[in-house]
Amino acid sequence: MNDLVKYSRRHFLQNLLLGGGGMVVLGTLGFRIFKDEENKLIKAIRVDFDKCTGCRTCETVCSAYNNPVCIDGDWVDGLGNPYYSNIKVHHFNPDVDIPVTCALCDDAPCIEACPISPDLITGRKALYRDDENQTIKNDRDRCIGCMQCAKACSNLRGEVIYPNKETSKPIGMCTLCDGNIQCVKNCPFEALEYVEMSYNRDLSSLAPEKIAKKLISRIYNLKM
Amino acid sequence: MKGYYGKLLEINLTTKEIKKVKIPERDIKLFIGGRGLGVKILWDKLPKPGIDPLSPENPLLFMPGSFSGLPIPSSSRTCVVTKSPRTSAISRKYKYGSTVSYSNVGGFLGPEIKFAGYDGICIVGKAKDPVYIKIEDDNVEILDASQYWGMKTDEFDKTLIRDLADRRFETCYIGPAGENKVPMACILHTAARAAGRGGIGAVMGSKNLKAIAVKGTMSIKLARHKEYLDLLSKVRKSFKNDNTGLLNWWRKDGTAGGLTGSSERGTQAVKNYSEGTFIEADKIGAEANRQKVWKRDIACFSCVLACKKSGIAKGAYKVMVHDGPEYETGTMLGANLLISDIVGLHKLIAVCDDYGIDIISVGNTIGFLMEAFEKGIINQDYLDGISLKWGDIEASLELIRKITYKEGIGKKACKGAKYLSEDIGRGSDKFAIHVKGHELAAWNVPVNSDYWTITYATSNRGACHLNGGKISMQNKSALIDSIACCSFAQEWYRGDLAYSKFLSAITGFDWTEEELLKAGERIFTLEKMFNYREGFRIEDDTLPAKFFENKFTVGKYKGAIVDKTEFKTQLASYYKQRNWDAKTSRPKDEVLKELDLDFVI
Repeated sequence: MNDLVKYSRRHFLQNLLLGGGGMVVLGTLGFRIFKDEENKLIKAIRVDFDKCTGCRTCETVCSAYNNPVCIDGDWVDGLGNPYYSNIKVHHFNPDVDIPVTCALCDDAPCIEACPISPDLITGRKALYRDDENQTIKNDRDRCIGCMQCAKACSNLRGEVIYPNKETSKPIGMCTLCDGNIQCVKNCPFEALEYVEMSYNRDLSSLAPEKIAKKLISRIYNLKM
Repeated sequence: MKGYYGKLLEINLTTKEIKKVKIPERDIKLFIGGRGLGVKILWDKLPKPGIDPLSPENPLLFMPGSFSGLPIPSSSRTCVVTKSPRTSAISRKYKYGSTVSYSNVGGFLGPEIKFAGYDGICIVGKAKDPVYIKIEDDNVEILDASQYWGMKTDEFDKTLIRDLADRRFETCYIGPAGENKVPMACILHTAARAAGRGGIGAVMGSKNLKAIAVKGTMSIKLARHKEYLDLLSKVRKSFKNDNTGLLNWWRKDGTAGGLTGSSERGTQAVKNYSEGTFIEADKIGAEANRQKVWKRDIACFSCVLACKKSGIAKGAYKVMVHDGPEYETGTMLGANLLISDIVGLHKLIAVCDDYGIDIISVGNTIGFLMEAFEKGIINQDYLDGISLKWGDIEASLELIRKITYKEGIGKKACKGAKYLSEDIGRGSDKFAIHVKGHELAAWNVPVNSDYWTITYATSNRGACHLNGGKISMQNKSALIDSIACCSFAQEWYRGDLAYSKFLSAITGFDWTEEELLKAGERIFTLEKMFNYREGFRIEDDTLPAKFFENKFTVGKYKGAIVDKTEFKTQLASYYKQRNWDAKTSRPKDEVLKELDLDFVI
């Protein structure tokens, strides 16, 4: 019941802010309003930006694993077009590469933004957190495709959610590949790790532009 | 046909017509993709010789290969194919007789063209005003680019992505050099990777085409999907467990490792190819760059080698963040001009890329002018007052600017060493280091002359260091450029992981390695026939006199020189092995038939 109250209160606040018309307002205030007080540890994918070379192998293995195809009756990896990947490597000029994937944010602004009322039994909105592995999932039957989740993610975090080309419903959330995390396993430069992290991470869960700015300034000693 | 869409995106910039044309299955089987398929399409589109390469008729082809769009490690290449604005025969049969041109670039472009659903893009015609082409899967638009005209490549790279408001677009474009139809202009991708050689940027500029932006959501279908997955996982393991030391060699220094290595072996282009060893090579070598310039290792699509090095040089010259030097850029603008100031060198490289100019050709051409100036064959008046001494960074920068904007001496110099030597005369042709009008690259000839003489003399786009000095290597290079793999990674694709195994899984045909090499031979021979039709003969397969007359004076290989008789003997044996006519250099009909090239007879 506690959870329900929490969701409703946040939902109300979030609607208030959206209704006020300012995503920018949400961008600066939302972070503080929704941030949990305790510094909880969450296991997620951490990027070592110094090691990433921008080869995009992570994108291809993520896409291949999460979009399997049926060949002779068996479901096997697809061909890995990076468009369908849940991790995206954003390339910037001057040369820095920023792999961004769902940070499994403790305060999940995407779930906060979902306008579907929590289910009375499960407490879940259309967008919800999987209890077992903490990933963010979407209940396609209840989702109305409003993409408020994507807006919240792109304004507050790493802009990982986007609409499915056919269904127009949100995709792009990390699945952790049923525990066999492809991007981490296959990165040729060991730039990705699946580790426990505190929510207060230096660069993770920021928008790629913001990370790029910080990195360019640190690596090349340049202000952009 | 499995493994391909069988679709060529054809855009006519004159009529603004956009077509999706079926590529005949037989052509795909015979010419594979990339360079091979590009040359076949070029042959079909240009039914007669002598067409002006900068005219609207000349097609400009952007060709991914048969591995493009699959995450097979190091298969990121894109081949740009067109008729060359750089080359000319010794005795001209046609005013505009020129060779085939193909130029390769790494990065992300070819894969994205495949993701958009095409096996290639063919641009013909000429837009009235500057345009760029935007491709999103089926949706293709020709858009106004007048606001970008004149923009240098680094700024344009950022501006276009900002305006498209989507970083998923992969782009390629020309700089001011291409816009001004400077014959040695190149095409850039990611502001630093260049399809550098053969003047392809001038062809793009002649069409008023500033850029192409592409992204896509499609995938090809494979004939034997599971077999491919198995090969992919094996080749990934083979890279991961590499114990040859090669993987680390590429990662550590990229091709820049050659800057000191080649110098020690006497194979570097130094002082306009007068020497093979640069005594100051360590000042611009990989070690110095690691310490002073490089900050990051950068990889192309799905590549584990990450040979591109990016950094920023700080000092006397204000430099942007840029990649390099790699072996070619560091040698052509460094050793070849006796420039050893690492910051100055970095500046020169960044500026050339920013203008969109082929660093090999421009470095070679400046080297030629420096030698002519030193010998007193030309004076400052010829050079608009520039005192072009060896090692002069400022003078080189000024000359590059003039070349880009075709200003004063730049109007002549932009045409390269061959043209300049004809203009200057007085025996300067002896040290104009080109073959068929295309300048030699950063590998000097006298040491290992067996290999390098044949490499440069017989390459189909005019002097090319990637051509290979043996017939088997030339055929293999043509093949690698057609499947779109990177030649740096070929060591990993042998035995059970040979290219033929992958191509068999992709297409469903049981390719053997021999059949693939035969396809390489077919491609190489078709290029040769293209050149023959344009009027190139055996006398064009030659080398500048300097290599037969000049002896190295420094380093371990002091005294090295090319023996002319030996070269001629070797060349004769080359034609014999190829079964090409010893008088004319034309491949014999029986060869053409054997290679299924009946249509060129």
